[in-house]
Amino acid sequence: MSSTTTLTINAPQSGRTSQAWRRNQNTVRHQLTSGLGPISHTVLIALMLCILGLIYLTQITKTSTYGYQINDLKTKQDKLASEKRDLEVESARLQALERVKNSDVAKAMTGPAQTDYAN
Amino acid sequence: MDLSLLKSSRSRTLVWIMLVIGAVFVVRLFYLQVIRHTYYETEAMKEHVSKFTLPAQRGTIYAQDGADDTVPLVMNEASYTVYADPRYVTDEAKTADKLRQIAGGNIIDNFEVGLKNKSLQYTVLAKQISQKQADLITAAHLPGVGMKEQDRRVYPEGQLAANLLGYVNNDGEGQYGLEQALNTQLAGKPGLLKAVTDVHGIPLSVGDNVQESAQNGQNIALTIDRNIQSFAEQALKAGLDKVKAKHGSVMVMDPSNGAVLAMANTPSYDPSKYYQVEDYGAFQNGAVSDPYEAGSIIKTSTMAAGMDEGAVQKDSTYRNTGSVNVEDTVIKNVLQNVNGTRTMTDVFKYSLNTGVVYILQQMGGGTINKQGREKLYNYFTDHFLFGRKTGIEQAGEPAGEIIPPDAAEGNNVRYANMTFGQGMQTTMIQTIAAYAAMINGGIYYKPHLIEGAVNDDGTITKNAPQAVKNNVIKPEISQQLKGMMHTARAESIPGKDKAGYFVAGKTGTAQTIDPKTGQYTDKNAIGSYLGFGGNETPRYVIMVKVTDAQVGATGFAGSDAAAPIFADISNWLLDYLKVKPMH
Repeated sequence: MSSTTTLTINAPQSGRTSQAWRRNQNTVRHQLTSGLGPISHTVLIALMLCILGLIYLTQITKTSTYGYQINDLKTKQDKLASEKRDLEVESARLQALERVKNSDVAKAMTGPAQTDYAN
Repeated sequence: MDLSLLKSSRSRTLVWIMLVIGAVFVVRLFYLQVIRHTYYETEAMKEHVSKFTLPAQRGTIYAQDGADDTVPLVMNEASYTVYADPRYVTDEAKTADKLRQIAGGNIIDNFEVGLKNKSLQYTVLAKQISQKQADLITAAHLPGVGMKEQDRRVYPEGQLAANLLGYVNNDGEGQYGLEQALNTQLAGKPGLLKAVTDVHGIPLSVGDNVQESAQNGQNIALTIDRNIQSFAEQALKAGLDKVKAKHGSVMVMDPSNGAVLAMANTPSYDPSKYYQVEDYGAFQNGAVSDPYEAGSIIKTSTMAAGMDEGAVQKDSTYRNTGSVNVEDTVIKNVLQNVNGTRTMTDVFKYSLNTGVVYILQQMGGGTINKQGREKLYNYFTDHFLFGRKTGIEQAGEPAGEIIPPDAAEGNNVRYANMTFGQGMQTTMIQTIAAYAAMINGGIYYKPHLIEGAVNDDGTITKNAPQAVKNNVIKPEISQQLKGMMHTARAESIPGKDKAGYFVAGKTGTAQTIDPKTGQYTDKNAIGSYLGFGGNETPRYVIMVKVTDAQVGATGFAGSDAAAPIFADISNWLLDYLKVKPMH
């Protein structure tokens, strides 16, 4: 669909120029009259909001999942740290003075017969 | 719509009712959402946000192991408390059997009673179980049974140095010794996590989580050498057994910087089982916490004061008559067969009370008077720093007591007694620190147990020795004093020391006051020995105290009970420290 609109040009009022414009007075422009109605707009906006909401929920869920992963990793880290400490304690116990003194190696040792001191 | 309907009174009424109801909703919502916004937001946050305490790990305590190494004395280990919510326990018998099988000796007495009581929501079943046991319990999948983790202190060296270390109670607070004295430093600062959680309480990474990291306690290295400490403890125990004594203390110090190398006490205890100790006296570090009348080892201080003051010289002599009258009191020597002209070295050699009373007289210009008392008091308190805390890193250090000369009780008799260590109270740490200053040339170093902080890479940031007072006595007096004590020891108890070394010391036997009579008695006399060893330079100072020696002769607890322990440790130390002989 199209319609024709006659434009009125405010041409200068001088004689010759005014004559020239009048010869081309059938100048027209075309205006599109079709478009989305208010209901369509509302539906579109609602759809966009839904999509945005879904995106938001996806992100939140993903973040929560990271929380569980972090928690699992933290638990593993704590367990490993605990095991490391246990091993350090065990190592210290094995090197304790009483244990070393009572070891077969220590029992087989003898004191030096003579001690010389370097000058 | 038919407008005529609106004109009817019923319809109008309905509209107004609807408007009023709507207004009520709006007002209520405004009140809840705007005016009470903060309150409900806080309540909602309480539901979703949980606070977690991030525990700080208590600092590890290390001891020296020879010249270059350190070894851990106190560490941390994860332990678990097993509990149950009996309402959710499905099979009590099976649960009890499984726990007995896994937890063994850590099980709580009569735990089955709590387990069967369905009205309870929480009952403890076992305490202090290890990580391995905890893993087994987890694997057993026992319904209604849970575990709470907490750190506990572990002692790889067993009872070594227990009295000076102290222990940590169930609330994580240090008790006695080093753990109490340095509790703040060792404990660190717990952190905090404030986070949105799910229904199981697991933190989620949504919302504005707040995390403050925990600051672990400081790891510290002691000046204590575990080998010296171990030998000192053994020598003390053996020495006490010989004289049938039950209480005693030994301390070893480096006189060049005030570092305590060993500090042993009997009785002692197992710090990992502190809750089983019945005699709370075992928790005390007697070397620091028990002030006592030290007896004749204080003669060294009197001699140092007299010589430094110029009242007597090394070669001064006096006439020993076996006793001396001070006002209405007769002060006697223990040895009554050494009368005659005696030197100042003889005062040490025969432990002559009359000799040190003579020094006090000379400090007063020939008689015991206020001038002499003030001079002695000045040396004892301002030079040797008796009567004030040393500041060693131990809980419960007392100041001791030195009665001032202008106090009613600070009379001539008291001061005459104080010259040989009676009528005044000092702790072992005060006495040994002052003695170290007397033999190192006159510098009083603050006695200390902390070598420094242990960094994450295992290196130690060492604390510099702290010279509290210079010119305690003149260096030349210090030199003369050492020679006199060496001669006295060599002549009075010859052959006890390894040849080629410079070892010296002084005995002390202090009478104690009988609580029934209020008078001094030789019963349960306290025997002490205070001496040093090395070559041209003293390498160590040793002080021994035996509280309840059952020795034959009265007045000889110092020489019979304490001196042998000194000799054992001294001879061993000369080898251990690789001290080069003088000739």
